[in-house]
Amino acid sequence: MADPIFSSRLAYRLFYVGFAIVILFFLLLPLQTTPRGWAAPDFLMCVTFAWVLRRPDYVPATLIAAIMLTMDFMLQRPPGLQAALVLLGAEFLRSRMILNRDLPFLVEWALVATVVFAIVIGERLVLMIVLLDPPSLGLSFIQAIATTSAYPLIVLLSAQVMGIQKAVRGDVDAKGRLV
Amino acid sequence: MAYERNNSSDYINPIRRLLIGVLLFILIGFFAVWRIDSPRIERFRAQITDQVVPSFAWALAPVTFLGDVFNDFRSYQRIYEQNQELRRELQQMKAWKEAALQLEQRNAKLLDLNKVRLDPKLTYVTGVVLADSGSPFRQSVLVNVGARDGIQDGWATMDGIGLVGRVSGVGKDTSRVILLTDSNSRIPVTIQPAGQRAMLSGDNTALPPIDFIESPELVRPGDRVVSSGDGGVFPAGLLVGHVAQGSDRRLRIRLAADYERLEFLRVLRSRVLTPLYDPGSLLAPAVQPAAPIEAEQPSENSDG
Repeated sequence: MADPIFSSRLAYRLFYVGFAIVILFFLLLPLQTTPRGWAAPDFLMCVTFAWVLRRPDYVPATLIAAIMLTMDFMLQRPPGLQAALVLLGAEFLRSRMILNRDLPFLVEWALVATVVFAIVIGERLVLMIVLLDPPSLGLSFIQAIATTSAYPLIVLLSAQVMGIQKAVRGDVDAKGRLV
Repeated sequence: MAYERNNSSDYINPIRRLLIGVLLFILIGFFAVWRIDSPRIERFRAQITDQVVPSFAWALAPVTFLGDVFNDFRSYQRIYEQNQELRRELQQMKAWKEAALQLEQRNAKLLDLNKVRLDPKLTYVTGVVLADSGSPFRQSVLVNVGARDGIQDGWATMDGIGLVGRVSGVGKDTSRVILLTDSNSRIPVTIQPAGQRAMLSGDNTALPPIDFIESPELVRPGDRVVSSGDGGVFPAGLLVGHVAQGSDRRLRIRLAADYERLEFLRVLRSRVLTPLYDPGSLLAPAVQPAAPIEAEQPSENSDG
């Protein structure tokens, strides 16, 4: 069991921002300019959901909204739509955080998968309602499946490397606050 | 007990709900404004990109270089076959070169006889590809020339050989090029030698399909496809690619530009486009004011 690598909450928040920047950087690299039939998992969404279910104080709603809106702008998506859906999903998971503490990982995984697919379907529905062409169905689902499959890996990494564990009843952080 | 209270005060209290509501309202507001008045938000997006991506450029270039080196290294595995292939092609090329030289001389003579001047407006600006769209759903690249270099929306972009896409979204130092493979790309083309007019509509695959061909029986796989210049957006006669038939028997285009390696792009300085202010005038011509027509009437009568 790895100990938390940072002592303060702020450091984790900064790490989250840094992670988003690194992800954006690698996405923007012009390595592949031909269309491809597969889509990489959305790692940022994985980290957001994994952290929200473990240490919700590390990913406040305002931060999620700001980062996701920036990603929408930089990645040529309809601005605000996916950000709003991810925020809704994250807040839904946050409200299940206490419940999730006592459940096995498989249940958590299923819950996250549901949220990821709900985001994809919700995005398509909204785009169709406002008469825009939604992105190709197959590719969206491939991405949702990839994101779901990457989730356990991200959870493992954030537990082993970052030391982010599920908080248990009565845990205190470095400053002695209850979490 | 303490944690229950902590939880309820931290996560479920009304102020928190209000905050979430306000955040959602802002995000949905962005989306709504984008949907209603896209150009303004897209300009905003271009400005953000313009600020952010050049600050990454120092790191983007070396990492891209490493990625390319890795790709090249993988291609060494079949270097022998490639060598053989290249020798064969070289043989063919030598014959073609002879033909080309003769044709060039003849062409120069004929042009001289006709006193033809080539269109001097068709000059170009060359830019380096900084970044791609970053998403598998969009096909576009960002080049490092922008409004500062006089780039305008709608200009055609080529690599050395063929058409690559069109400029859409210009920042001060960068501009975005929507590739022909993007699902939003529609380009009017002519298929040679039949002279068939058609529409090249990208669908996020490597071989975009051709739509609206008048008589498909006149078109064969292998025919040359050039831009037709219909609609006044693109210059005519730019090489786009060759016709190919997909496994679904649909006519598609094998693009001439090397999409595997987009490094340098030429942005063609086309004529100045009529700016589009509102989408309404695209659908129906603006109503002419009545006064000038009446003013012309007497002059016509006097002529007659």
